[in-house]
Amino acid sequence: MNTGHQHGRSGDRRGFDRRRFLTRAALGGATVVGASALGGLDAEAAFAEPMPSLDPAIARSTFAEGRISRVNGSVLEVKGSYGEQHLVQLTNATSVWKLRPTTADAIKPGDGLYARGVDMPDGTIAADAVWVNIVNILCTIRGIAKDRLHLSHGRHAVVGHLHAAHTTASYLGGAQTADLSRLRIGQSAQILGAWRPEDDGIDVARVTAGH
Amino acid sequence: MISLLSTLAPLLCGGLLAATGAGKLFGRQVARQAAGTVLVRLLGDGRRAARALRCVGAAELAVAAGLLAAPRAVASCGAAAVLGAGFLGYLGYAKATAPRSSCGCTAGEEGPIGWRSFTRAALVVAAGLAAPAADGTWWSAPAGRPVASAVLVLLAAAVLVVLFGGVDRLWLLPLRRARLRVFGHPLGGPAAGAPVAASVELLERSLAWQAASAVVRSGLLDHWDEDGWRILRYAGVHEGGQGARPVNVLFALDLAATVDNTPRPAVRVTVVDDATDEVVQVPLPTAAPRTLLPLAEPA
Amino acid sequence: MACGSTSLWAGESTWFCCGSAWGPCGSAGTGACGTCQSSRAQAAWPNASQACFDITRPDLCGENIPRRGCGSVMNVRHQCSGATVCVTISDCGPRTKSFCGEATCCNGACRTNRVIDLTPAAFSAIGNLDSGMLPVYIYE
Repeated sequence: MNTGHQHGRSGDRRGFDRRRFLTRAALGGATVVGASALGGLDAEAAFAEPMPSLDPAIARSTFAEGRISRVNGSVLEVKGSYGEQHLVQLTNATSVWKLRPTTADAIKPGDGLYARGVDMPDGTIAADAVWVNIVNILCTIRGIAKDRLHLSHGRHAVVGHLHAAHTTASYLGGAQTADLSRLRIGQSAQILGAWRPEDDGIDVARVTAGH
Repeated sequence: MISLLSTLAPLLCGGLLAATGAGKLFGRQVARQAAGTVLVRLLGDGRRAARALRCVGAAELAVAAGLLAAPRAVASCGAAAVLGAGFLGYLGYAKATAPRSSCGCTAGEEGPIGWRSFTRAALVVAAGLAAPAADGTWWSAPAGRPVASAVLVLLAAAVLVVLFGGVDRLWLLPLRRARLRVFGHPLGGPAAGAPVAASVELLERSLAWQAASAVVRSGLLDHWDEDGWRILRYAGVHEGGQGARPVNVLFALDLAATVDNTPRPAVRVTVVDDATDEVVQVPLPTAAPRTLLPLAEPA
Repeated sequence: MACGSTSLWAGESTWFCCGSAWGPCGSAGTGACGTCQSSRAQAAWPNASQACFDITRPDLCGENIPRRGCGSVMNVRHQCSGATVCVTISDCGPRTKSFCGEATCCNGACRTNRVIDLTPAAFSAIGNLDSGMLPVYIYE
């Protein structure tokens, strides 16, 4: 089994049993969605129609942005970029992204944050998902080395650090792949990654290569 | 060689200061340039910072003129050394108090202060100190040693080009391209298996995602591979007959499937109550009958 | 102005940050309209003005995108999930010409070319930020 997260020894055991249970649930008796019968939906015709009224749960969500000033147990104190303050409550149902899906332990004061959640009566935000230090910037590749890309973002030089286990590339809409060998100097590239507050570099999660 | 260098120092330093000074004094982007510097905080507002930057530009031009016209005069050499020392102090202060601020040194360069800015300032100081020791004026040097003078000026010009980040594309990119051609591409080729991000991408563009979107609330919480399947776990809320309850939404995909090889994937979707671990029956558009899959026993 | 339901365009959507926020965003400023903030439901449109169009050049990818200036309001709908967000045009982008021909598909139905850029607040309302890109329908 390939573990996605880090756990302690007992956590490993619990995580293993839990995953085995969930795997059984996921494969035995699961609903199968997406076989060909439903594939014939005419997307173009659907678009031409007036927009159907939809009520996805996600649309009722709230959003917070800022720098994390303090981590207080499972509550993140966040200072918004326009002076506002947010208290973001993490639960075991909150997804945490920091270069990869990870856990709340990876969050540090000084990190930047985007959070999606629900406003609670006590003024906190119960987070469904938080993205820590995530950036998505349009760059030009200026240099390629074994462990990093030299990038220019506007008139700024940025170093993109590559991580063998996490960095993927996508070439003009193709599937994400660990194959970075088709990146070229001079190419436009959308860089999705985790900003590094300590040196202003970026840990690269995905390079989407353009022309 | 040392004496030739000190003779030519006023020319090189004057040229450097004339270029950066003119950029600051006459540049159209000076206001924008000033906005990123520590001067804004020192002086209170961006307009004053821009004015200060233009004044520094004028001072640089004056010193440059002095160095070029009277290369051995103590006044012009001293002014250059003082100016360079001032730059060093400013850069040190900016680096210490606002590491993310830009230098404002040249028109073509933005971004945090780096070694180039410090080296340029140090060279100005060095030139100011070395010039009085020269044997003659810079315009008399080529007469005695024309080849050495030309080589030295060219070398110094190359060093200055390297010290200006804005002109990297003229020399650094071709150099890096050539290196890739000679030594090959340093990054690895195709690897076995699909990265987790590729599975997530496939899931989020599938009918299964559409079917489950009313339940899923979180981003990807956890993932693991087992028996050729990749399991992706999300958190969600199921609003059924007994009110809203937190659930785990599990998606099982073929380990090797990506949007390239499986544009219309069949995805197994299961909703499990987070508190009771019961499988919750959520109506999803199904397209295939449910089947029980064999699962390997734990070793 | 309310968000309408008349179909306007369809294509790929990415996200970008703006306003005085953290990280590389700090240098982005408040965008071409001077109002852009990451924490608001806003978007960048490739034909927000002639000057903007000259940078993004969607026509080079065959996208004859109509002019919609600062302050225009649009409904952006995730093609795969149907989740929708109402956004105000506050900046110029994305740079369509740099990714001509790029396609993002939902169960085999593909959207081509980058035609709108959403702020993190808007993008996260209809998808996950770490997805980076979504196929969308746009209504006005």
